[in-house]
Amino acid sequence: MLRFATRRLVRSVPVLFVGSFLLFLAVRSAFDPLSKLRQLRDPEVIQRETERLGLDRSVPVQYMKWLKGFVTGDWGVSVRTSGDVRPMISDALVVTLQLLVPALILATVAAIAVGVYSALRQYSVGDHVLTALAYIGLAMPAFWFGLVLIQTLAIWPQRALDLEEPPLYFVGLHSPGQPHSLLDTARHLVLPVLTLTVGLVASWSRFMRSSMLGALSSDYVRTARAKGVPRRQVVVNHALRNSWGPLMTVVALDAALLVGGLLITEQVFSIPGMGRLFLTSLLAGDVSVLLPWMFVTGIAVITFNLLADIGYGLLDPRVRL
Amino acid sequence: MKTVRIGFSRRTGRAMVVGLVAVSLFAACSSDADSSTSDGDSSSTATGAPTSDAPSTDAPAKQGGTIVIGAEQEPDCLDWIATCAGSIWGSYMMQITTIPVVFNVRQSGDDWLPALSSIMASEPVVTAGPPQTVTYTLRSDVTWSDGEPITSADLKYTALQIRDGEDILDKTGYNLIDDIATPDAQTAVVTFTAPYAGWKTLFSGSSGVLPSHILEGNDRAALMKDGYSWSGGPWIIESWKKGESVTLVPNTNYWGDKPKLDKVIFQFTADTAAAFQAFNSGQLDALYPSPQLDAIEQIKAGLSGANVEVQAASGNLEALWLNNASPGLDAQPVRAALAYSIDRAAIVNKVYGPLGVEQPAQSFFPPILSAFGGQDFDVYVRDLDKVTSLMTGDGWAKNGDGLWAKGDVVASYRITTIAGNKRRELMQQVLQEQLNEAGFGVTVANASPADLFGTLGPNGDFDLGLWTLVTTFPDPGLSYAFDSANVPSEANEFSGLNLTRTNVAGLDDLLRQVDVEVDEAARLAATQKIDQLIAESVTSLPLAAVPNILLTAEKIGGSTSINPSEGPFWNLEQWALVG
Repeated sequence: MLRFATRRLVRSVPVLFVGSFLLFLAVRSAFDPLSKLRQLRDPEVIQRETERLGLDRSVPVQYMKWLKGFVTGDWGVSVRTSGDVRPMISDALVVTLQLLVPALILATVAAIAVGVYSALRQYSVGDHVLTALAYIGLAMPAFWFGLVLIQTLAIWPQRALDLEEPPLYFVGLHSPGQPHSLLDTARHLVLPVLTLTVGLVASWSRFMRSSMLGALSSDYVRTARAKGVPRRQVVVNHALRNSWGPLMTVVALDAALLVGGLLITEQVFSIPGMGRLFLTSLLAGDVSVLLPWMFVTGIAVITFNLLADIGYGLLDPRVRL
Repeated sequence: MKTVRIGFSRRTGRAMVVGLVAVSLFAACSSDADSSTSDGDSSSTATGAPTSDAPSTDAPAKQGGTIVIGAEQEPDCLDWIATCAGSIWGSYMMQITTIPVVFNVRQSGDDWLPALSSIMASEPVVTAGPPQTVTYTLRSDVTWSDGEPITSADLKYTALQIRDGEDILDKTGYNLIDDIATPDAQTAVVTFTAPYAGWKTLFSGSSGVLPSHILEGNDRAALMKDGYSWSGGPWIIESWKKGESVTLVPNTNYWGDKPKLDKVIFQFTADTAAAFQAFNSGQLDALYPSPQLDAIEQIKAGLSGANVEVQAASGNLEALWLNNASPGLDAQPVRAALAYSIDRAAIVNKVYGPLGVEQPAQSFFPPILSAFGGQDFDVYVRDLDKVTSLMTGDGWAKNGDGLWAKGDVVASYRITTIAGNKRRELMQQVLQEQLNEAGFGVTVANASPADLFGTLGPNGDFDLGLWTLVTTFPDPGLSYAFDSANVPSEANEFSGLNLTRTNVAGLDDLLRQVDVEVDEAARLAATQKIDQLIAESVTSLPLAAVPNILLTAEKIGGSTSINPSEGPFWNLEQWALVG
């Protein structure tokens, strides 16, 4: 297993290298690092920054300089804030993970439960209801669903119970001016996590159902049943175990994309995570943030893929060959 | 110092949000000035002239307590004189409340004018020269939060940092300073290299006065950009948690009236709809939303338990900017015909009607500068017969598509604004419809702020533009936007902001006179002539002052009102909890 993981890890390095160069090319051709400064119309400032950032050199030279800085921890200075980029991204990443990790755990558990239930009771009333709910979940835009949750789980209960404040908060991750507490954080996290979870469960449960149905109709399950293995054991040890693999890949891919893709949820709930950082930087044309941001999300994609491969390898020894 | 910005001109962030961040109250027209209406549970006040002591509630104010205010933008940095300090919200929250200035902007009658601040012992003495000099005399009993006195050395330090510094947001006026002498701790004498009529903008508006005893000899940017613990105002920045909130606490060494509240927290709320829900739920105690359509709709729908203040007497002027170099638009009759094609009142009504703002702007001087302008654009009301007369008189005839054409030139124009601004997109739709009916083709060609103001505008690659002129200090200089010398070109290294390529005979002289004329009466006469000349030549068309809106919970009292120059928190020390 260790050899398998090492091999996959080594293979990831050139992918990351090529990917980062393509990203660099794309970002450099799409954005002008000096766009904000150009609005000052000060040629001296433009000239100085051009030299400082090495923009008068060839693209490969610029890339190597940037890559060296990135690897050594010098991620540069934001054009927008004049602050160091590395803490900006690491802070945003921590915030996003606070939101993402519980959502992923909840969504995975719920998706497996819903998918297995639907597969075991295919075409039952429960299956139809869950299928309908999944389609609704898939069809609902996150921003709208977020606002609906705010209204139904925060505003209405507050009014109905005549509370001074809503039972669940929906601005930020902490109450400003108060010491951080687990309860306070939980009250802030419920709504955004739920917003995120519902969309994921809707999608993943359909995938799990399909995967589980495939497993249940496979020869090895029929054989096990024919040999008299109890149904519960067949479902858990044979069908479910073989259905997890594909779901794990989907979860890993989605999780990687969500590291930088929680833009709407973070925007609605005013959470200063990776999505909002990207949006702010994009609007400001802040290349110095966008490049490492994309590189970090690229690393996340490769890392999660690697984890999925390793997990898949653990579940199915054939993939280690 | 230029105090007016085109769109995002100097203060990028502010501008991008261009007119976006237009705030406060409406009340635009004097006829509405005293009106006040009630709508359901919320009270709504429309005023053109809020006063500093106007209480928002009759309940007695308490001492102490905390309030949370929703802030729709987060500043990029707090080094106020640097290029990274472009956020108007940064200024509202932390600059106005902590940085002393020489001149505040206060209401005087119907006007908002520079008023001597409390750090000054007397009005500065101006000698016309040459060379022009201004002598500032500070009070001896005003101090920074650490107890050190505010002195002439602070003025000198600030002036030289801006004049000689790198990455400075706006050097206007400071770049004309030849010397600044400090004969004693309370006196500073500024000598200019050339006459500068806008001297009142110095040490005021976007710069203020910085503490030399803390910053001199140190890296100012490093000490200020992420926040600072000193203050020369009624508040001190207790914390700035990036992405989350800003907390202000009273400056116990402040020489003036101390804040009534113990703490004010600004919480960053990115989504307007969620911010309104947070306000309704009591998570936020006040909001100062941009008058975008969704905010206007929320206010129109009614807000429970809220005081709503709307003010049209703002410093933000939305206009239809005409590229005077575009084929067809280079002729005055065509520009005039365009102006007669547009029902500006209908547009203003459609966009700002729910806020009570119904009359279009009739001058390029926004309400905050109304004393300097006139009503010269009021002749431009929709009149399609006049359009026909003007166009045919200039040799145009309608082609098979029903559009005006003259030779190879068809009067079909692109209209450009910042992509994603729904309010302006609505305005575009109405303009498109009205202009089509009048025989002008219009296609929408929106762009990002960086493209619009960094590339398209300077290169003249637009025909019609919708953006906002943002005035942050009541000084009537308009040369940056209308002087032909400021048309972006190699001659001025593309630094000019006359994006419309305005070049009207006689206008440049008047604009330059306003820039250097120290005599107020002569300056006023010149500004009124400018307004007249711009209206006659229709180099562009003012549409509306962008109203400002302040929402406060009923528990907030004391004195809340909007200062169209300094924002809604200009007198935050007077805010209090009531009831």
